[in-house]
Amino acid sequence: MSNTDQATLAATQARRPPFYRDATVLKWLAQVVALLLVLFTLFFLATQAQGNLEEKKIATGFDFLGTALGSDLGSGIDTDPHTSGRALLSGAVNTIRLAIGGIIAATILGVLVGVGRLSSNWVVKRMCSVFVETMRNIPLLVQIILIFVVIASLPRVEAVGEPIHGWLHLSNKGVSIPRVHISDGFYQWLVFLLIGALVGRWVMRRRLRLHDDTGRETYPVLSFAAVLGAFAAVGWFAHPIFGWVGAIFGLVADIIDSLSQTVVQAVISALAVAAAVWWIRRFLARRRTPAGLTKLTDDDRFRIIFAAAGSAVVIVVAVTVPSLSSVLLDLAGGRGIDWLRFDNGFFGWLSEKFGNGRTGAPIDVKRPDIEQLGNFPNYGPSGLNLTQGLAAVYFGVVLYTAGFIAEIVRGGILAVPKGQTEAAQAVGLRRVTMLRRVILPQAFRVILPPLGNQYLNLTKNTSLAIAIGYTDIVQVGQTVYNQTGKTLEVVAIWMLFYLACSLTISVVVNFFNVRMKIVER
Amino acid sequence: MGLPMDPVAANVDAVEPWAGEAEPAQKPEEPSLSARQWVRQNLFSTPFNSVLTVVFGLFSLLVARGLLNFTFSEEREWDAVRTNLRLLFTHAYPEEQYIRIWVCVGTIVVLAGLSVGLLAGRGRGVSMKKLSLNLIGVGSAVALGVVLREPSVLKDADGEVLRDDDGVLRESFAAAMADRWAWWLAAAVLVGAGAALWHLLGDERRRKTFVPSVEMFVALVGLLVASAWVYPWGHYAFADGEFIAEPGRTVAMTTKLPWTVMWVLLIAAIATGRQLRRAGAGGGVRVALNLAWLLSPFVLYWVVLRDPALDWGRVATVDIPLAVLFAVGGAAVLWLLTDPRIGELGRIIATGLVGVAAFNWVAAFFGWYSMLQKVRLSFLLLALAALLAHNFAGERAQRLRLLGGWAAVTAVFHYMATIMNTPSTVETPTEALIGGFAVTVIVAVFTLLFSFPLGVLLALARTSKLPIFRVLATSFIEVIRGVPLITILIFCAVILKLFLPDGMSISLIAAATLGYTFFSAAYLAENVRGGLQSIRRGQFEASDAVGLTGVQRTVFIVLPQALRVSIPPLVGQMIATFKETSLLAIIGIFDLLRMANSVIPAQTQFLGVKREGLLFVCLVYWIFAYSMSKHSQRLEKKLGVGER
Amino acid sequence: MSVSDATTAVTAELAARDDMIVCEGVNKWFGDFQALDGISAVIKEREVVVVLGPSGSGKSTWIRCINRLEVHQEGRIVVDGVELTNDLRNIEKIRSEVGMVFQQFNLFPHLTVLDNITLAPIWVRKKPKRETEELARSLLERVGIPEQAEKYPGQLSGGQQQRVAIARALAMEPRIMLFDEPTSALDPEMIKEVLDVMKELATSGMTMMVVTHEMGFAREVADRVIFMEDGQIVETGTPEHFFTSPEEERTRLFLSQIL
Repeated sequence: MSNTDQATLAATQARRPPFYRDATVLKWLAQVVALLLVLFTLFFLATQAQGNLEEKKIATGFDFLGTALGSDLGSGIDTDPHTSGRALLSGAVNTIRLAIGGIIAATILGVLVGVGRLSSNWVVKRMCSVFVETMRNIPLLVQIILIFVVIASLPRVEAVGEPIHGWLHLSNKGVSIPRVHISDGFYQWLVFLLIGALVGRWVMRRRLRLHDDTGRETYPVLSFAAVLGAFAAVGWFAHPIFGWVGAIFGLVADIIDSLSQTVVQAVISALAVAAAVWWIRRFLARRRTPAGLTKLTDDDRFRIIFAAAGSAVVIVVAVTVPSLSSVLLDLAGGRGIDWLRFDNGFFGWLSEKFGNGRTGAPIDVKRPDIEQLGNFPNYGPSGLNLTQGLAAVYFGVVLYTAGFIAEIVRGGILAVPKGQTEAAQAVGLRRVTMLRRVILPQAFRVILPPLGNQYLNLTKNTSLAIAIGYTDIVQVGQTVYNQTGKTLEVVAIWMLFYLACSLTISVVVNFFNVRMKIVER
Repeated sequence: MGLPMDPVAANVDAVEPWAGEAEPAQKPEEPSLSARQWVRQNLFSTPFNSVLTVVFGLFSLLVARGLLNFTFSEEREWDAVRTNLRLLFTHAYPEEQYIRIWVCVGTIVVLAGLSVGLLAGRGRGVSMKKLSLNLIGVGSAVALGVVLREPSVLKDADGEVLRDDDGVLRESFAAAMADRWAWWLAAAVLVGAGAALWHLLGDERRRKTFVPSVEMFVALVGLLVASAWVYPWGHYAFADGEFIAEPGRTVAMTTKLPWTVMWVLLIAAIATGRQLRRAGAGGGVRVALNLAWLLSPFVLYWVVLRDPALDWGRVATVDIPLAVLFAVGGAAVLWLLTDPRIGELGRIIATGLVGVAAFNWVAAFFGWYSMLQKVRLSFLLLALAALLAHNFAGERAQRLRLLGGWAAVTAVFHYMATIMNTPSTVETPTEALIGGFAVTVIVAVFTLLFSFPLGVLLALARTSKLPIFRVLATSFIEVIRGVPLITILIFCAVILKLFLPDGMSISLIAAATLGYTFFSAAYLAENVRGGLQSIRRGQFEASDAVGLTGVQRTVFIVLPQALRVSIPPLVGQMIATFKETSLLAIIGIFDLLRMANSVIPAQTQFLGVKREGLLFVCLVYWIFAYSMSKHSQRLEKKLGVGER
Repeated sequence: MSVSDATTAVTAELAARDDMIVCEGVNKWFGDFQALDGISAVIKEREVVVVLGPSGSGKSTWIRCINRLEVHQEGRIVVDGVELTNDLRNIEKIRSEVGMVFQQFNLFPHLTVLDNITLAPIWVRKKPKRETEELARSLLERVGIPEQAEKYPGQLSGGQQQRVAIARALAMEPRIMLFDEPTSALDPEMIKEVLDVMKELATSGMTMMVVTHEMGFAREVADRVIFMEDGQIVETGTPEHFFTSPEEERTRLFLSQIL
């Protein structure tokens, strides 16, 4: 390096280009302009909506949740809801039930069909292919309506067609089977189960260690089941001794109730600030080098500004909408929310359920019956009733989704390289062991992400219940806005509900996904 | 949310479609096994397999029998479908204007034929072995169905079903089998033809002879069309008459001639396409054909089907001058901006134009000055063109081509805008122009057309390095993907009206298409994102190193590669959209499903008759969705995507 | 495209007329890791400079900073009188002045060889299509594969692909060529055909900066060798000086390991 090099540049400073040529400035300018455009459009739409609503004399707001609803629901936890809020809650529970039941059944059926398509037996392979191609290529809505119509053509309730009277009814009103339900002392019994699981785990670990040390067969899983079973059996009769657990929850509920909403606002604000500070600190830490903090680029400054602005928005919302905080308080503590008929808050509810004086059996079974209130006989409430609408939606989403899951399972198994099978055979594994220990764990990694997508789709597809009048959250929502005119609010509730469902499923699937990855490495 | 479930292509290096341009070799089928060997190998290889075969074989026979008896039961009133075919396909489109529908079908047939002719020669078609096996299989299925279907009921002279105490009376099994002689004949012909092919050709030849699929498809369509000349398919219904079916007039009678014309058109178009290919017609013809495909939905729907009544005075005084003004003025601006020497000044001018375009809307919001919506949109179009202009600048010829493109876009845009704002002369009793299956197709096609560019833009924004764009795109995509389609449709059908300014309205079908577009775009974006992420970093670096701008890099390098990788998932999304159009029925549009589920069962003649219509709808959807999915599988194989 | 062009000579006065690349105190970090540590160097016009060093020594990072594929964080880089800053005009100018050849070729797989070469001249340099195609064919002739113009990159061997990549860079008529380990991804029998093209280019008077492990090439063609380690320039000198009597201990160690 000659000395002349130093001299040529040192004399001058780099000039900053004018802003309209500065890459960084232009980049952020474009983004901010786009953001402003989006915000302006939203603002424009909101003003229009407000104007239009005022013209029609429709008030906005969520007060309607607490007002009376003039119609019954066909099925659900509350068929005669007093308020719109309660009705929506009932619809939401229906959706969740459908989704969970559907996911379980669709997974089982889908895995069976998917494996069947890879069978070496021609009949099985063909049947599974026909099932998949039929289910996947006919719109779900058409299938649901067709099933609904077919069920309607089954014999009437009192006529023949009840295969096992008092145990299984099959008629144009749907299906009714015995109901297994949570009874009086369930929650105290749950405490027993929890302790049993902990003790069982400890025993299982010991047995596993014993197996590792001595090589003897120690049946670790079996002993875990035995311990859990023993606790369950004892708990069945002894559960009232845990009546004091409720008091603890009661205490927590009282503490929460004594808080004021200012505290909640403060907590939210503090969390927002903490999140922003944490993010900025982490950001700066990444930019830190052994030689000290790197010079921050304009990009970095913009990012920090946006993080700070984001937390400021959260704080402003928390402070200007105090009702949000009080709703949170009521939900968590012992007060509850009136319009939901959720009389106690979360901890209040826990303290009641775990409370003293519940001495009945934890779980009970009731047989279905038929009752005749007016001119038409119908299933009584004691059985587990799959009404016409519920059965149509349920079988529809299960069959339809099973077709897609079968393809995913097939693809996943095919994705395991052939060498794996050959290697497993080479070390002398039996076919079943090979499937269980080698093929399936690897296939599962490929299957899981698209499977999660199908679970999401299934949950969303239950909304097609609206076409046949089964009372899921969308159908109830439609009833509510038809009566109250609160379309915007109802749609907002739908979106929040389904986004929460999606988020839950994503989190669960992600959890397993991460676990599978750790197992792999 | 959804992070673990991204359909991001995992096998980045597996795909190199350009290497596989050569046609696949004519790979012969595997040697045939004898029937006994085949049965041993596929049905009874192990005791467990034998049990499976017996159990599932019986089960499938039971299911088939149930389905047959349900479908062809004497309680089924298939007349409900036969009589309402027109309702199911076009709803209330006036009969005297039906020629318009035939023009649409003809245009599509010609375009499809040309495309097939230009592309044909790929793939090997169906082997004789497969063909004969299929013939035997179909024949056997027919025979099996004839045996499985329970004997027909006995009817008296008035057509009333005879009953006794136990239920309906049926003829004896032997009589039933004898009555179905025509079906037996059909089965025998099919099996015989298959078996003859099998034995005459011999193993070697039947494995290595192939029937081209295009010819086979044309022949099958020909058979179907010919059947209309022989068998009277369907009836015609009075809309409000005494008789639901017009005696003597059948659907086959009025459509046999048009369908024959369509068939001839198809053959002519395929032949023309092949001739063009043989003559070495290159990019020019393909581009023209693609443009025709792109424009045809708009022209067919708004011009041909609607037959707008143009107010020529207004067209001459307002519309044409406006179009010319924008074409010429815009061309002048673009000429200036595509000058390679203009530098930043060009960007400043373009930004100014964007400002003007945006300000037009702000002014509309505050009511400062009025302006035709068309003009506002034209300004926006011009501003976008100006923003992108410097990327496509070049020497003189290139600039002139760009100006020509601008003039063409302006002309098409102004023409369509004028046509869309002109009332239709076709009078229908319903609010919508057309219904039934036609509306299903129309909504699906427009959804696809609009959601594709939107989806690509969203995918680009989501993979962009600019955080605000990324956040905006991600939140849009995830919110849309997180909620059910029906809530979006209800939002568009019920609430969208509230957001519109005074004096603006949106038809139900347009609102629904908008909802579908948002929904479909969010899913498309995820598919395209998978393709975008499969592009290696080196491609970006090489584009930067040779000095391409960001837009040039995206248009010339990134998108062509990304879209090619994402073709199979895109076709899958297309099929999904097609199936989802059935949801139109819920928000009150008279589509195919609503016809079968609500309209036909409300006719006095067919009160409550739903099952037949629904089965028919199932069949229609199945045929279209199944053939599309088969096609996409073939495409996937050709591109070598997903192979390991 | 020359320095004297009034609209583009932004910081021409900063450097002497025949200084093609001037780096001064260039620093760059990747997180905690300092990739470049105070790089200062000048490369004159028509000079061929070979950069040597163990892997991870920052050679590639440096060369990629010169056409802003990587952004340096401190210090200054002036290329052909134009300083590399956030200024869009400067970035545009430098990208079209500096050609680059990558280790992995990075040809565009969906375009034919001819389109690969003509794409940038048409859309960046705004040249007529016909003229560019003639140029492209003559360049293919120059790198020895005129018959491959209509093929896709996937149908060519590695050595042919790398020669197409060189032709693609040359089509922009650059004043400087950067080579980032151009032969490292090639089979041994193909290395020579690429090196021959590079030698021909060097003798034609192109300013070149080459990161490579080919000692023979360095010895034969280079005007100057720069040895880097841990993000720093350890030693520079003529090939004879560098290979026969290196001054620094680290250089000697490196040479003893590879020779």
